[in-house]
Amino acid sequence: MKRHRRAIQYLILTAVLIIGGLAIGRSFYHPSAVLKPGSDAPAFKLLGLDGQAHALSDYRGKPLVLNFWGTFCPPCRQEMPTLQKEYEKWQGQGVQFVGLNLSEDRISVQNFVDGYGVDFPILLDRNREIERLYGLREYPTTYFIKPNGQIEDIIVGGPMTAQDIESRVQRLLQP
Amino acid sequence: MLQNTKCECGHQNPIGTILCESCGKPLVDDLPADLPLEMRYDGVARRSQKQQPNWLDRVWNFFSSVKVAVILIVITLIGASLGSIFPQEDTLASSVDPSEFYRDQYGTWGAIYHALGLSRTYQSWWFIGLLTMIGASLVICSLDRVLPLYRALSKQQVRKHLQFITRQQVVYIGEVDADPAEWVRQASELLKRKRYRVWTEGDALLAEKNRFSRWGPYINHIGLIVFLLAALIRVMAGWSMDEFVQLDEGETKQIPGTDFYVKNNRFTLEMYSNEEMPKELQGASVVKLYETDATLYKCTANCDDLTKEPVLEQVATHKIRVNSPLSYGGYSIYQNSYLQYAVPKLVSVRPTLVDAKTGKSYGPFDLPMQNPPLTYKVGPYTLKLIDIFPEFGLDDNGQPMSKSRSPNDPAFVFRITGGDLPKEGETYFYFALPKSKGIEKQINEAAAKQHQNSGRFSFEVRMEDTTRSNFMSGLEIRKERGMPFIWVGAGISMVGLMMGFYWQHRRIWLRFDDRRLSLGAYTNKNSYGLRAEVASFLRGMDIDVSPKALDNRRSTR
Repeated sequence: MKRHRRAIQYLILTAVLIIGGLAIGRSFYHPSAVLKPGSDAPAFKLLGLDGQAHALSDYRGKPLVLNFWGTFCPPCRQEMPTLQKEYEKWQGQGVQFVGLNLSEDRISVQNFVDGYGVDFPILLDRNREIERLYGLREYPTTYFIKPNGQIEDIIVGGPMTAQDIESRVQRLLQP
Repeated sequence: MLQNTKCECGHQNPIGTILCESCGKPLVDDLPADLPLEMRYDGVARRSQKQQPNWLDRVWNFFSSVKVAVILIVITLIGASLGSIFPQEDTLASSVDPSEFYRDQYGTWGAIYHALGLSRTYQSWWFIGLLTMIGASLVICSLDRVLPLYRALSKQQVRKHLQFITRQQVVYIGEVDADPAEWVRQASELLKRKRYRVWTEGDALLAEKNRFSRWGPYINHIGLIVFLLAALIRVMAGWSMDEFVQLDEGETKQIPGTDFYVKNNRFTLEMYSNEEMPKELQGASVVKLYETDATLYKCTANCDDLTKEPVLEQVATHKIRVNSPLSYGGYSIYQNSYLQYAVPKLVSVRPTLVDAKTGKSYGPFDLPMQNPPLTYKVGPYTLKLIDIFPEFGLDDNGQPMSKSRSPNDPAFVFRITGGDLPKEGETYFYFALPKSKGIEKQINEAAAKQHQNSGRFSFEVRMEDTTRSNFMSGLEIRKERGMPFIWVGAGISMVGLMMGFYWQHRRIWLRFDDRRLSLGAYTNKNSYGLRAEVASFLRGMDIDVSPKALDNRRSTR
């Protein structure tokens, strides 16, 4: 025992440093539950109205306007025409518009989209999973996401005006 | 400067030794003269005490100090108590923003609390750091003491120094008129019957009992270390999970983050009847049973494919009651809460298609309120669902819209084709709730005016064709892979505590110098019991002495 005293001392102190270091280091990293400008947009994978699966990563590399909406929410309905117009306006510059429906029946969503002449992609959330992931508190909520996946701005509530959307899209287009 | 630690008996002792490891003679001069000898750890030096400590020794000595350990524990206690002043962040709902919550709810103090990081006390770097230091202290304190103690207790000398013997807790010195060797032999027989383990060396004797009890505190510490490691690692390795699922009766939902699905077959709420209740509580409403009859499914195919329905296979079923969870694959599903609907919630109906023109009826067919299929074959007709409104209402333009996502007033729009109908078929609005039949009639009649239907079809649903959910059951799904380790740690700790508390380590030394018998005895606990036992032993050797007279402690207890 005596011969190995030094070795044991080093061993124990090293083990303490490693385990303690790991535990303490991990305590510094706690992802904030509430998304703010600057947070990374949480990843998701959802079925779209087109019947294909789409992931958030599919939209990386270009600016993204992500609008959480539902047919049961009057301001969401009211801002749809505005969103459609802005989508058409900025499409040429590569700005992507995606509507994320709040877990409604596909057929209700399809009918609404057809009725309002909405062209941009619509994804269908299920069981409120993604709205909980994003910590949504109000409907509608729109996220303006940079090409690198970081959230540039969040508009809670609506209906949004064309100016609301345009000023933020312009910021998204800045390098 | 080398300190001379060589005892007069010839044994070389390490620095810091209080009693010679061999003969027990006190090496340190400044021991209080009127008290029994300091027998802690049998007087051997702690491992770490050295002449010239280097940095490694200093760190080791810091953690080896019991004083430091107690201070660490007190600081941790105070820190932990701070975390109980306001609710911690991880108890808040996920939609609440902590930085606003504390200021809104608790004012300036709340804002300060949050800014200082106290709202995440138990995950903070300083709290975890303290726990780590306590863990290090546990290991190092124990190691530093148990190894010398083990060495001391395994290599005990039988014939001890007179100073050692005469300064124990329990002492007897007297003349004995008998042959020393013979006396010692008789004594050893007597002590063996008292369950002592006896060693003799001519006219000296050492009797020892319950040495294992000394290891109790160290076993306890091992248990605590296992416990602490399990608690630390479980956070790092993601060994725990806590999810909630709310299910209507008959509903199946996926457990978030897993491949499992759980179904609520039926929820039962039972109250005690008046016959079962004591007189004072007659007429009172007391719950007897909360129970969810649940089935657990595992997804076996199409689990990650969003375009397809997952294939489910039943793996377990259990009537979940409070404290009786459904356990499977490391997961436990508990009854967490429930909601009783004032008006039972409509889950599905089985309508019969009635043709007023021919008087025939077809079906019935199953129509669930949530996620209904889009096509139904009923008799010769095909019913296609073309719109759904979970809570029917009208928007500002008088157009139909749904007021919410919950099936509070479901309306379905069908297109009926096939049979003798024209190619474009007919539309039919169906309202599931009886109270909305008025609106249903209005809308269908308006559509008839626009030639969208002929008014010949209607759905008939009898009371027994409806399935309702009276309750919504809240289930909590938990996974705790660290539990076995925590139980093991706690079990080891308990064994150590029992070893230390319920048995006492007793030793009796005696030696003859010519005809003079010197006897000394020591125990770590219950010295009164030792006194009595020594007195009883001496009486067995025809020496009459009262226990009190044996007591060598002059200080009053």
